[in-house]
Amino acid sequence: MTAAVRQPGWTRAITAIVFGIAFSYGLSIGARALFGYDPYLDGEAVLQIALIATPFFFMVGLGLFDYWGYWMSGRPTRPEDHSGHGAKSWKSYFYPNTDHKVIGVQYVVHSFFFLFVGGLFAMLIRAELAQPGRQFLDANTYNGVFSVHASLLIFLFIIPVFAGLANFVLPLMIGAPDMAFPRLNALSFWMLPIAGVMMLGSFFAPGGSFASGWTAYAPLSSSAPIGQVFFTIGVQFAGASSIATALNFLVTIITMRAPGMSFFRMPLLVWANFATSLLVVIATPFIAASQFFVLLDRALGFNFFDNGQGGDVLMYQHVFWFYSHPAVYIMMLPGFGIISEVLAVKSRKPVFGYRMMAFSLLAIVVLGFTVWAHHMFVSGMQTWIRVPMMITTAIIAVPTGIKIFSWLATLWRGVLKLDTPMLFALGFLTMFTCGGISGVMLAMIPITIHVSDTYFIVAHIHYVLFGGSLFTIFAGTYYWFPKMTGRMYDEKLGKIHFWLTFVFFNATFAPMHLIGVEGMPRRVADYADQYAGWNLAISIASFGLGLSTLVFAYNMISSWRGGPRAVGNPWRALTLEWQVSSPPPVFNFDTIPTVVGGPYEYGIPGAVHGVFADTPPPVTARTTPATTSSPARD
Amino acid sequence: MEAAAIPANAAHHDHHGPPEANRSSRVDPQMLGMMLFIISEIMVFGAFFTAYFFIRVVHNDPWFPINGVELPKLVAGFNTAILVSSSLTLHWAETCAKKGNRFGLKAGMLTTFLLGLTFLFVQINEYVHIGFAPHDHAEGSIFYGLTGLHGAHVAIGLTLLAIVNIRAFKGHFTPENHLGINVPGIYWHFVDVMWLVVYFTVYIL
Repeated sequence: MTAAVRQPGWTRAITAIVFGIAFSYGLSIGARALFGYDPYLDGEAVLQIALIATPFFFMVGLGLFDYWGYWMSGRPTRPEDHSGHGAKSWKSYFYPNTDHKVIGVQYVVHSFFFLFVGGLFAMLIRAELAQPGRQFLDANTYNGVFSVHASLLIFLFIIPVFAGLANFVLPLMIGAPDMAFPRLNALSFWMLPIAGVMMLGSFFAPGGSFASGWTAYAPLSSSAPIGQVFFTIGVQFAGASSIATALNFLVTIITMRAPGMSFFRMPLLVWANFATSLLVVIATPFIAASQFFVLLDRALGFNFFDNGQGGDVLMYQHVFWFYSHPAVYIMMLPGFGIISEVLAVKSRKPVFGYRMMAFSLLAIVVLGFTVWAHHMFVSGMQTWIRVPMMITTAIIAVPTGIKIFSWLATLWRGVLKLDTPMLFALGFLTMFTCGGISGVMLAMIPITIHVSDTYFIVAHIHYVLFGGSLFTIFAGTYYWFPKMTGRMYDEKLGKIHFWLTFVFFNATFAPMHLIGVEGMPRRVADYADQYAGWNLAISIASFGLGLSTLVFAYNMISSWRGGPRAVGNPWRALTLEWQVSSPPPVFNFDTIPTVVGGPYEYGIPGAVHGVFADTPPPVTARTTPATTSSPARD
Repeated sequence: MEAAAIPANAAHHDHHGPPEANRSSRVDPQMLGMMLFIISEIMVFGAFFTAYFFIRVVHNDPWFPINGVELPKLVAGFNTAILVSSSLTLHWAETCAKKGNRFGLKAGMLTTFLLGLTFLFVQINEYVHIGFAPHDHAEGSIFYGLTGLHGAHVAIGLTLLAIVNIRAFKGHFTPENHLGINVPGIYWHFVDVMWLVVYFTVYIL
């Protein structure tokens, strides 16, 4: 038993959590006694300290800091035996691991778990809204449910699932044996379950879960019941996780590319993650700061948002949206990368305008920082900010338009293979364009003033995040499923999944435009009788949409368990990740390949992207299962 | 070490370590990582300066002295000198490390650490005697917010310096291998420069 407590792992982690809670009690009581507060024991104070402290105890207990601890104290570090690298069985996925492929799978599976949790909350919302009047959620619980729905799907699904997919394929694509900082990579994954548990755990807080939306506007959030703190602190962990991952991606891309892999020979997925990581590193600190302000106001009585004391309420919205507008590109750019990969491979053509595709990503990064106040047209901010923000918002549609038209030109006269990843990619193209058009509409001040806080906003956000981001995530998941698992998914079920999703998605969210323009307010548990018909239809369609994800879940689980073995390169793709076995060997490559051409030279006879020193030209699929090449080290 | 021990023609099933990654940039990965981390730290400060801007300029209430309480510009000025001199001693230590001067490295690192610690103590002492609390008014909130945020960064920097000290005294650094000083060092320089900005905007302006 003592040995189990001393070894890094779950026993030690749970012991550490107990110590963390004890520490929080001790610190809170000690500090209150020192400053003469009465009573010494204050539940909320303990809870707020515990929410910050216990995650660190947990991570230390799990062993994420062990190596650094040895290094920092100047003791000899254990020689790198690669024992924490690569999965030996399914159990390995529940422990910290330094293999980017294991971390990638951890990320993706963990994120999809939260997709299903967040989706269940959506089902609850639609069940409540099926008819006017109160069904089975009271107004406050309803506010909590939609807040947790949005927060989980944004911070624990869309942002990390892209990081997960990129974690798996990006080092392979650039010909690197791993990420630049493998231990930091493990640490950034393990911060996510902490954020997820916190956000879900807020339902058990006295006064209910956080109920101020995912935007958590102050002073509503700085005066809300204690459940709000679960969001305030949970977001810090999710944000720290994505900053650490982004930093890791940037260093990996800059310093670890294979010989010959110049920036303009990188696959566009790598470009997309490069751009996204820049956004994350620069913008995410702003949401961290906004939540620090809320926490300081709540816990220590600061006056950042107390107008009577000289504070400024609008400051929250400026700081928040300075992160959260770039965040919508953080949630979209990696998807652009996935689509570029899928479309080029599935239409057997080079990506049209490769350089413009890369430059438009960078243009979006730059312009993304100039448009934040278009979320605040009706907030009562200075009116002179409105028109400049309207213009920049209209301008940012230009680089996005460049991408859309380049994808269309890529498809032009291609030999299209309409399998599941391609269907989702085409679904993305159409649906994201719809969402983009309603986005340009919303950039126009008069329209925003008319439809602000109505279901038109809900329709727009779901067209870009569901029809946009989620479709690219599905496309990417199907596309790299053979590479990640070594198995083929069921094509028929995949197509059924696509068509069900596509039809029910439109049936659910398209009518929201109409009731939005008619004036149905969002974020309200009840509504006027005139919207009853459409809402019932939307609710029924949304249940269909919910059920369609079960097809996906069944397909993924059954194919992973017993699908036919995948060859190394089932799509005949040129990028480097397909030139190794499926799943790839533990250390990715025996020797680092040399890149000799562009990544998308499809349809050009004899075109090669990378060559391997010890194997004749690429497409030969080495079907060695990864298990046999796992490191048999003592 | 494993990879080197294996003959080049060994079958890849016996491959024990990862292949050596290609270095596609002359920048050290560690240094680049620290630079990117510093960029995100600058943005955290940027958000706090946004709050400062809204409270001081947009809201436009009178800045210090408030209710007759003035900020201790002189004490903080001396404290600034202490922090700036710690950057100089750090640079001296780094130069010594490059030249292989062990004593200079140890003396320089220890001095830097102690100067940083002094700064932090003076700052805390200033809080004790300053005469207003963060919950008195928004100006107090942003004063404590900015200086406290910076103090937290000094604490992080001191932790890094402590690690460098331990490793310096154990003799881990050589004239060829001193990245472990330079990477925390650049962070400490950042903490110094950021203090100059905080001092100038909060105390002087």
